[in-house]
Amino acid sequence: MQLFAVIVALHLIGLLLFVPARDVPSALRNARSNIRQVGPTAVLLGGVLIANSFIRNAGVDLAWLIGVNITRGIYAIEGTFVASVQSVATPALTAFFSFIYVFGYAFLLTFPIVIYALIEDGEPLLLTLVAYSLNYGLGLVSYVFFIAYGPRNYMPELVESILFTNWPQVQLLTGLVNVNTNVFPSLHASLAVTVALLAIRFREIHWHWTAVATGLAVLICISTMYLGIHWLTDVVGGILLAVLSVSVASRLVTKSLGTGSVIRLPDVGL
Amino acid sequence: MTPSPVRRRKILGTLGFGLVGITGGCLRQARSLAGWQSPAQVQLEIKTVPDDSDPYALRIARTVADWFDAAGIEVGVVPMSEQELHRQALLRNEFELFVMRLPNLSSDPDMLYTLLHSRFADDPGWQNPFGYANIEVDELLDTQRRTRGTRRRNAVTQLQRTVAQTQPFTMLVVPDDIRAFSPASFTNWRAADLDSPLGYLMLDREPDGNGTLRVVVTDRRATTNLNPLAVEFRRTGALTGLIYDPLGYVIDGRLTPWLADTWEFTSSSPLVARVSLRDDTTWHDGEPLTADDVAFTYRLLADTTLRSETDEDAAPLPSPRHRGPISLVETVRVIDDRSIEFRFVDANATVALRALTVPILPTHVWQDRTDPVSLAGIDIGSATEAIVTNNIPPVGSGPLQFVRNTPRENLVLERFDGHFLHRAERQSDGLPGLIDEVAFDTLTVQVVGSDVAAVGMVADENADATGTPVGADTVPRIGRSTEAELLVQPSRSAYILGYNTHHQHLNNPRFRHTLARLIDGTYLSETVLDGYGRAAVGPLWNTSWYPDELEWSEGNPETPFIGSDGAVNVNRVREAFREIGYRYDDDQLVGGTS
Repeated sequence: MQLFAVIVALHLIGLLLFVPARDVPSALRNARSNIRQVGPTAVLLGGVLIANSFIRNAGVDLAWLIGVNITRGIYAIEGTFVASVQSVATPALTAFFSFIYVFGYAFLLTFPIVIYALIEDGEPLLLTLVAYSLNYGLGLVSYVFFIAYGPRNYMPELVESILFTNWPQVQLLTGLVNVNTNVFPSLHASLAVTVALLAIRFREIHWHWTAVATGLAVLICISTMYLGIHWLTDVVGGILLAVLSVSVASRLVTKSLGTGSVIRLPDVGL
Repeated sequence: MTPSPVRRRKILGTLGFGLVGITGGCLRQARSLAGWQSPAQVQLEIKTVPDDSDPYALRIARTVADWFDAAGIEVGVVPMSEQELHRQALLRNEFELFVMRLPNLSSDPDMLYTLLHSRFADDPGWQNPFGYANIEVDELLDTQRRTRGTRRRNAVTQLQRTVAQTQPFTMLVVPDDIRAFSPASFTNWRAADLDSPLGYLMLDREPDGNGTLRVVVTDRRATTNLNPLAVEFRRTGALTGLIYDPLGYVIDGRLTPWLADTWEFTSSSPLVARVSLRDDTTWHDGEPLTADDVAFTYRLLADTTLRSETDEDAAPLPSPRHRGPISLVETVRVIDDRSIEFRFVDANATVALRALTVPILPTHVWQDRTDPVSLAGIDIGSATEAIVTNNIPPVGSGPLQFVRNTPRENLVLERFDGHFLHRAERQSDGLPGLIDEVAFDTLTVQVVGSDVAAVGMVADENADATGTPVGADTVPRIGRSTEAELLVQPSRSAYILGYNTHHQHLNNPRFRHTLARLIDGTYLSETVLDGYGRAAVGPLWNTSWYPDELEWSEGNPETPFIGSDGAVNVNRVREAFREIGYRYDDDQLVGGTS
């Protein structure tokens, strides 16, 4: 509830800043036609998300059967890097990054859908939804093949589980109860970077948004490590997943828009 | 004595030269050199559970890894879920070292029988997971089973001494179990040990208290599986213990009749006992519980296929969680509807009675679970349905019965009014006064992600107690809360470092003994456990069987730490490893045969 209220408030502030009042009527018209156009893709994303929530638990069991436990390998690569990120912790920074991790992330993911729906060109919205689907789909596959525990679970004497210690309710809120092995790659990082990449690509639409999205994406990547949830390796993996998702999504969308036919559902990652 | 180090690349170089030169002499030399391959650095891997599942295991494992690292051993820590760790370490023998909590052994020294006897080295479960084989220990284990009085005491003392010397596992530290509880609805928490089903029966209800006992846990396995035979899903067995009744419980060190009414020995050689059941015992589904069910249970637990009785060639598949008690029973015979005759193996009466502690299962549910398991039609052998079923819903005869479960989230049990504890006519049943009828109507078990979240649930009045113990770092949080109170009880289950003695290096008792000397139990209890625990040398440390010379005093008397205050003395460690035939090469421990 609290999450929902804060996100709505952030959206309203964003809209006031980015959409001038005189454009509202045309924006609403655009939204109607865009929603019709991306309908099938939105269904696809919805499907991926629903599948995600169902498969995640089964995926954990499957992962223990066929996946590789890479926690020790990650630690061998980067050692105590996350501990040094966390060494700068102060109560103010902790509050800030906790807010970014929970609210900033939810806002960053939902806001582009709103602003891209309000413009005439349907491509950014379509591309965003396809890229999200790819992120979730590929992320889920990766979680089956790679089992890893985050730094807070692997080196508790060095890395405090800051978020959950200071704000235990978050653990219930975000449903992280069962999925503490799903850290590689970081979906927080990959989705945030996906939004930033798309914002950069469509920078002529709202350059303010490009700046905000890029800044937020960087902060979200840092916050996952600061809070002890992800390894640097996870974040790098997340960034690579974002780049891959955006480029594959662009190819799919260009193809389907270019042929002028009905937008076909991409079948990648499902 | 040791040959000078011969580098692998030198051999390869020689080989390369040999191939180029095609000189037979060179090749011959290379071949003889290849037999002298230089041993590589000693590498070990410690498997344990992540911080979310256990407040200390991972910290302990990493501390131990640091000590081993200081000794020049390449060592890594691999975290995995508790279920997976049990599967790999206890069922599949896929480990080098593990850090786990040893099950509570304090009721009788014979608990060591299945833990350390070499005849159990290949058996799944907590049956000698170390693959330890020591003839002297085997003989002492057999002796303590058969004898009584001073002879048994001497055997147990000698046994503990030998085990401490040969280190099939190293005792790391014995934690205190820390819990948060709320006194609002229920009282008597301080007497209740929630690691045991009896603990739940000791709670009392406040007059205006809520009828639901809400327990919050970090271990989600009980929400997906309630099979008392499943090794990888059980920790203490407290919840399944509330659903299933044994014939007797060990209470205050004595086996006390529970589902049984009385027992008496009718012969001492061979040892035979006649056990009679309480009147009107029923299963949760209303079926009557009879002597047939008891006899069936013992046959099933001894061989879940039930085939070996009739077919001598069939390999029995015993229940991996009940090998100890079951190994004491020779035959079980039904005398009449309420009484059963047990014929025991050659054992003293006290030990033999331990056979009566297994859960009694309903024939009408379990008789169909004797087929080998098949996955998608393929017979994968080596397990029966009885061992792998999730057993939901369970049908038991215990004081609580199953209501519903949401996998990975929660489990709901309710009071079973047909249980003898709840009958109006219950009088002088021989049970201690503390164990009374169930003080609650419903028990809910909710799963959360970490001990901090569990404490938060109690502090926010969303739960009455943390069922699984929490870490010392949550103590200030419990102290600050106005609703939650702190409960600290000495645990009877130690953290151990288990060695796979099939593994290179670890098959050498002197190597294990030296590894044990790299472990500072005092540091673990004072620093890692923040003082909420104590160091101990042997698994029977809290019993009257523990010899004085193994008492922890200023350090471990058998494997004293080489160093001080948690810091390894590197020079002395190297000396110790050199003494047992290892060497150092570029600060790396090398040696042993490869």
